[in-house]
Amino acid sequence: MNTHFENDQIEILADKARNGAISRRRFTQLAVALMGTAAVSLRGTPVLAASGELVFVNWGGDAITAYDSAYGAPFLAETGITVKQDGSGPSEGAIQAQFESGKPSWDIVDADPFSAQALGKKGMMEPIDYTVVDKTKTREGFGWEFAASSYFYSYIIAYDAKKYGDNPPKSMADFFDVEKFPGKRGMYKWGAGMWEALLMADGVAPADLYPLNIERAHKKLEGFKANVAGYWGGGAESQSMLMNGDASMVLVWSTRAKLLEQDSGGDISFTWEQGLIAPGSMAVIKGNPGGAEAAMKFIASAQDPAKQVVMFNMLAQGPANPATDALLPPEDTRYNPVDPANMAKQIPLNMDWYETNYGPALDAYLAIISA
Amino acid sequence: MPRLSHPALLLVPLMGFMVLTYLVPFLGVAAWSVTLPEPGLGQYRAALTDPLVQSVFLRTFRVCLVVTVVTVCASYMVTLLWVRGSRMQRFLIELCILIPFWISVLTRAFGWLALLSNKGILNTWAQNLGFLTEPLTLVRNEFGVVVGMVHFLIPFAAFPLASAMRSVDERVLLAARGMGAGRGRVFAQVFVPMTWPGILGAALMVFVFSLGFFVTPAILGGGRSVMAAELIYLRIFQSPNWGLGAAISVILMVAVGGLLAVMMRQARPAGAK
Repeated sequence: MNTHFENDQIEILADKARNGAISRRRFTQLAVALMGTAAVSLRGTPVLAASGELVFVNWGGDAITAYDSAYGAPFLAETGITVKQDGSGPSEGAIQAQFESGKPSWDIVDADPFSAQALGKKGMMEPIDYTVVDKTKTREGFGWEFAASSYFYSYIIAYDAKKYGDNPPKSMADFFDVEKFPGKRGMYKWGAGMWEALLMADGVAPADLYPLNIERAHKKLEGFKANVAGYWGGGAESQSMLMNGDASMVLVWSTRAKLLEQDSGGDISFTWEQGLIAPGSMAVIKGNPGGAEAAMKFIASAQDPAKQVVMFNMLAQGPANPATDALLPPEDTRYNPVDPANMAKQIPLNMDWYETNYGPALDAYLAIISA
Repeated sequence: MPRLSHPALLLVPLMGFMVLTYLVPFLGVAAWSVTLPEPGLGQYRAALTDPLVQSVFLRTFRVCLVVTVVTVCASYMVTLLWVRGSRMQRFLIELCILIPFWISVLTRAFGWLALLSNKGILNTWAQNLGFLTEPLTLVRNEFGVVVGMVHFLIPFAAFPLASAMRSVDERVLLAARGMGAGRGRVFAQVFVPMTWPGILGAALMVFVFSLGFFVTPAILGGGRSVMAAELIYLRIFQSPNWGLGAAISVILMVAVGGLLAVMMRQARPAGAK
C-alpha cells in the first residue's frame, strides 16, 4: 500500500478545499475515491479537520476568562488543541451567517438549545455525538440532537428585602400582585420565562403550562404593564434596576442573585419559588474549521465536575453534570439553580415549545410592552 | 501649491471606499429583501402590514423629530455663546461640548441612568431638599431616551451651527442696529435668517443620525422604546428572518433618502438669500 502517496494526494486536496478551490463535499468524495470508504469513515477527514485549534463563541465579558480557565486551558493541556475564546455572541442569526458564509470561523457556540435545534433541522449544525459526549453526565430530560447540555440558569424573583421585610414574595402570583406587594416591577425584554410567570400568576398550574397560552399571558400583561418600571435586556441592567431603586421586584437571571445580595449588603434577596429553569448548551456549527471530532471532545471534556465547579464559582452557572452538585461548598448550594432542593421549587422551560413558537410570541410580546 | 487639472480625482479614494464598504453590502441587503425566502415583494408586504413594524417606525420618527427640535434649539443657544461669548465662556463651552463628545455612548447612557433613576442623584437631592415626596420617573421611558439622545447629538448640531454663525458678516448686524432695530429684532430678523442654512444642516445631520440610534434607546428606554435599528437587529440576529429584516432596512433607507431630498430642496432657496 502506498499510503504516503495517498496521504500526499489527500493533502493536496485538503489544501484546495481550505482555499475554496474545491468544496468540502467534493473533497470528501475525492478522498473516498482515493482511500476507500472504510478508511474515510474510520479516520474521518483528518487532514482537513486538523486546524489544530477550536474557537469557542460565548457572550463576552466575564464569560471569556471563565470559559478559558475552566475549559479552554485544561483542554489545551490534555489534548494540545488551543481553544480560542470569542465573545461576539452566538445569536441564532449570527450562527446562521457563519454557516451560510460557507467558511465558518466558529467551532463551538454557547447557544440556546432551541436555537441550535432550529438551525440543526435546517442542516446548519453538527449532531451531537453521544458516543463521545456522555449522556449519563447530564441531567435527565436535558440533552438534544444538536445541543449538549452545558449549564443552567433560572428566571427568579429578586426583591427589595428591606421593603417587604417579614412578608417576602413567594410565588409568581405575589410578583404580579401590587396590592399586597406595592412597588414597581422589572421584567425581561426578550419574553422567555415571562410568559410562564404571567400564566402561573393567572392561575395556570405549573404542570399545565405547555403549550403556552400566549394570548392569556399577554392579556395578563396588558392589565399589569402600568406597574412595570422597565424591561431589561442584559444582566447588568436588571441589577441596576434593583440597585437604583427603579423597581422593588425584578425577574432576574439566577446568575445575578449572588451579586445582588452581596452588592446590596443583603438589602436585596431572592427566592427559587416558581423560578423558571433555562438550560444552556454547547453546539457545533456544521463544517466547523476545527472539525466535529475535536469539537465533540471539547464538549465531553467540559462535562468534568471539577471544571464545572470553576464555572459555578466564576459565573454562578448551575452545573450540567449532577455529580458536580456535591462538590460545591455547602454555603453556596443556595445559589445553585439545579441544587435538588432549589430545583424542586422550579419549572424548566420547554425547549420544544420555544423552538417552534418563540419568534411569533416574542413579536407579540414586544408589540405590547412597547405600545 | 501645484494646481490639479482634475481636483475631483481627490474624491476617488473616498468614493471607492464608500462603494466597497457601504454601497456593495447595502445592495446585498437589498437583494435579500426581494429573494429571501423566495423571490418577490412578499417581505415588503409583510413589513408594511406588520403592526409591530408600523408602531416601531412611528415611534422612531416621533422620537427623532422631538430629539431634532430639542437638540437644534438647545445647540443654537449654546453655540451662540460659544461663538460670541467672552473668552472664558467660550473656553468652558468648548470643554462641555468636546469632553462628552469623546466619551463612549454606553458610558454616557449608564451615566444618565445613575443620574436620573429613582435613587439617582437628582431624585435624592430633590427629595432631601423637600421639592418632591415621591421620586419622579425620569428614565426607562421615552423622556429618558430623548435626554440621552439630545446629549449625544448636541456636538453634531453645534459644529455646523458654529460655522454658520462665524460666517455672519458683523457689519450687517451693525447696520441693522444703526437703522434703529433693537437687539431682539436684530437677532430674530437678521441673525437667525442669516444662519438658517446652518440650522437646516444641523437639523438634517441630527435627524438622520438619530434614526439609527440603538444603544441609547435600548438602555434609557427601559426596553419599551424599541426603535427601528433594534427591530432590524432583532430580525437579523434574535429571531432570524433575514428577508424581513432586509426589507425593513430598505424601507428605512428609502424614507431617510426621501426626507433628505425634501429638506435639501427646502434649504436651497434659504441658502441663496
